[in-house]
Parts: sequence; structure tokens; C-alpha cells
Amino acid sequence: MTAEAERPLIAETHGLTKAYGGHAALDAVDLRVAEGSVYGLVGPNGSGKTTLLSILAGLRRPTSGTVRLGVSRGAMALLPDTPEFEPWLTAFEVVDLARALVGPSIPRERVTEVLVEAGLGDVIDRRAGGFSRGMLQRLGVASTLVGDPALMLMDEPCSALDPMGRREVLDLVASQRGRRTVIFSSHILSDVQEVCDTVGILQRGAMRFQGPLQDLLTGNRTPGVLVRVRDDAEGVARALATEPWVTSAAVLAVREVRVGVRSTEEAERELPGALARAGARLVSVRPEEASLEQVFLEITR
Amino acid sequence: MSLWRLEWLRLRRTWRGVGLLAVFVFFGLVGPLSARYIQEIIERFGGTEGVQVIFPAPVPADGMIQYLSSAQQVGLLVVIGVAAGALSFDATADIATFLRTRVSSTARLVLTRTAVYAATAALAFIAGAAVAWYETWALIGLVPVDRFLFGTLFGALYYVFVVAMVALAAGLVRGSLGTMLLAFAFVVVPQVTVGLISAAKPWLPGHLASSLASLSQGTTEVGDFVRATVVTLAVIALALAVAIRLLDRREV
Repeated sequence: MTAEAERPLIAETHGLTKAYGGHAALDAVDLRVAEGSVYGLVGPNGSGKTTLLSILAGLRRPTSGTVRLGVSRGAMALLPDTPEFEPWLTAFEVVDLARALVGPSIPRERVTEVLVEAGLGDVIDRRAGGFSRGMLQRLGVASTLVGDPALMLMDEPCSALDPMGRREVLDLVASQRGRRTVIFSSHILSDVQEVCDTVGILQRGAMRFQGPLQDLLTGNRTPGVLVRVRDDAEGVARALATEPWVTSAAVLAVREVRVGVRSTEEAERELPGALARAGARLVSVRPEEASLEQVFLEITR
Repeated sequence: MSLWRLEWLRLRRTWRGVGLLAVFVFFGLVGPLSARYIQEIIERFGGTEGVQVIFPAPVPADGMIQYLSSAQQVGLLVVIGVAAGALSFDATADIATFLRTRVSSTARLVLTRTAVYAATAALAFIAGAAVAWYETWALIGLVPVDRFLFGTLFGALYYVFVVAMVALAAGLVRGSLGTMLLAFAFVVVPQVTVGLISAAKPWLPGHLASSLASLSQGTTEVGDFVRATVVTLAVIALALAVAIRLLDRREV
């Protein structure tokens, strides 16, 4: 039993379905989010990520199924993908309003602290109407953090940020592990791989995989080897594709071939001979490192 | 920052509060002036060459009537427009998300915002009426204070009713323009349909709108507005209850 499985669940759905007319935006989704985890919700556009987060936040009602939350609504916060605020409020006022609504007992000094944490320390008294999308995203993060929620729902929090801002938000999300639970949806799979310990893959409203990231990376992908040759990668790929232990052989770059194999052991044993028979001028051979992107593509293909 | 302060800042920084006040005070200034100097205005600008138009000497009630005629038309539209802009809770989904995921109940959100705009509209009407009353006293003569006070209070209640209709409309449609049009229909349609039946008229909220004029003229008494007051209060309460229910059930 994994550590995630031992922790109590903070958010759980059973057969959660949301239909708009005849179209099911969510189709019998069983979500299981362990307390203290950073859960990455990934899926193509229109796969139901935002709908799922909205239902968890209480903004939409499911057509059928159940939602069980281990915290009160007041102890959870949703950061939408494009947060917007009254343009005539200052950054301080936005966060202070959030503080007063969710935790009036939280001291006002906390407002300044979270604004500084979110990288808005220099614009505390500027009105939100003049903010860029990235600044609005940071303001959204600050107004989410100020209430010290037990469960944070973050819908594409990096979508509008520059590389530096994205790095800061990823660090911030990663730092929440163990302190609070975060459900983090993103299109950027490398971000999810970097900060999340648990992953849920949604496709066309259905949960295609859910579990620890490590299980996903090691248990759900075809093992592969990356072969770099001096020339004629196409010819090498064609030759390798005829081998019985090879499941696929595709040219990735001008001189690089990805060889999908039935097992790593077979590849280690058979590959040198196969390359020799193909007359390949070998530069390097290395095992393919698991990436969420590849696994995601394999699962959703 | 509380929701009350949020609405106060909205009134102040978007100039909605000043705008409402300015409109009614302007009509309060212009109404008695036009009542007092209508003869001179027509003679100078009316283009009635060869025709002499003689108006009867103005009486104090004329000052209030002139104020009301503007307040009931342009003033009503401005109140509906300003309130619709603020009470369209879900016109911008992401702003709505910010508040809806943080307030403990939708009722708190709806009641605070409606109360602030209803109070502002009522105060703007009262301020305009007070200016009109003072100017009428200075230029034409005194409208009895008790009749002025009751007429003003009934008129202010009418604008509270108007804002409640805006809240109800905001529960039915999301956009500001749609809210404005629907609220206008809620306010005007009963007046031009049921209001044509003379027996029904004293029961309608619209009856309160002209109370200041008829009380100033002495053609009605305070007791004549009790039925409309009771119905208006009931309609306000019902409209807010329905608005809260609709907004509570709306998905964002």
C-alpha cells in the first residue's frame, strides 16, 4: 500500500457526471484526492478539468453522482484560470476583501505578506484594472493563499505567466505539499510532473488514469530505447522494426530513433546485434526516461 | 474589507453614487425654476409669434410636479441603469467566482448590494426633492412640510421597489443590458396594463411615484397611499427572496 493510499481522502467523487444537453462534460468520474497531496489534473482541452473543479468548488451542480469533501466550503479556495477582479480595487483591497470574507480573524498584516509572496509587493496600492494577465494571476494566487485554505483548487495557474512567474508559482505549489492539499490542473505536463505527486488523467470527461505519478510513469508506458546514429536513421528504424522484440521504431530527430521494446531486458540483449545487422554507425544508446507527456499521449491516443 | 465597504467603494470609484445624486439634484434645481418662469421661457424661446400664451400663476405644487416629471422619466432610467450595472452579479464570470466562492451565502451578497443601491437611489430622490421643495418655497411658495415629507418618503420607497426589480431581473438574466431591459419591463408594464384599471391603481407601487405631486396639490391624503405602500413592501420582499433563490441556484 502506498503512502498516498494510507492518507485520508480530502476530496472524493463517485460516479460524478455532468451533462450539458446530450453532451457529458464529466462521465462517471471517481476522483480520490488524499489529504496533503499535490494532485495534478491533466487532460486535453474540453476534457472536463474546469467543470470538475467548478463542481468541487460548488459553482456548478453535478447531473448525477456524489461529491464528498473532507473540509467545509470555507476551507477551500478556487483560483480560476483567468482571475478577474473589480478594476477599481487596489491589490491590497482585493486580498483584504478575500481575507475578510473567508477569515475575518486573520490579521490584516497577512494581506501584505501574501502579496509580497506572490511577487506583487511593489504594486500593493495599484488598482487591479491596470494589471497584466500575469499580475492578475499572481493577485489570484495571493487572494487564494490569504485565507489559508486546507484545499486549494488551481485551474491552469501558470497559463498567463512569464517563465519567471511560472517558476515562482510552481515553487509555491510544490511548497504546499504536506501543508495543504492542492488540486492543480494544467496543460503543461512537465509542470505537473515537476510538482505533483498524484495524477488524474481526464479524457472526454472520463478518468483514464488516477494514482501516484511514479506508478503512472513506470507502469503505464511502453519501455523504449533512444538510439543516436551518425546517419541514415530512417534505414536503421526500418531494420529495427522487423525485429520481433521491437514494438515500434520511429525517427525522432535527424539522427535519433526511438525504439519501443517488449521489455528492457530483451532490448539490452538483442539491440547490439540488431544494430550491427542494420549496419548502423552508432553514436549512443540510452534508455528512454519516462515523461508524463509520453505516457499521457499513450493513454489518451 | 467588508461587503458594505466594497459596495461603498463601487459607488464612489465608479461615480455611480455621484451620478445618481447629480441627476436628481439637477432636476430638483430645474423643476421649480421652470414652474416659476415657464411664461418667460415660452415668450423668449417658444417661437409663438403673434400668439400670446398665458399660463396661470404658478402654485407651490407646480414646483414639485415639475421635479417629479423629470425624476419619473430620466431619473427612473438612470436608477435602473446604474443599479443594473452593479447588480448583474454574474455578468463577469471570474469576478462572480471570486465572490461566490468566498461569501458564506448568496443572500448576504444580494442583500448587501441591493440595500446599498436602494438606499442610494432613495437618498438621491430625497435630496432632489429637498432641493426642489426649498427652491419652490423661495420662488413660488411653501408646500406644507408634512405633505412634502410623506410624499418624499413614498417616492423614496418607490425607488427602493425599482432597485428590487433590478435585483429580480439580475436573478433571471446575466448581462447588464438584459437586466436593465427586464427591470424596466417589471416596473413599467404593470403601470400601463393593470394601472389602467382605476380600481387597481391605488394598489400598485407606481401609485407611490406621483404621491409627492398629488399630496402637494392636496388632491390626495396620506391614507390614500397605505394600500400601495403595503403592496410595495410585500413585492420588494418577494422579489428579493426570488432573486436570492435564483442566484443561489445559478451555475457560474
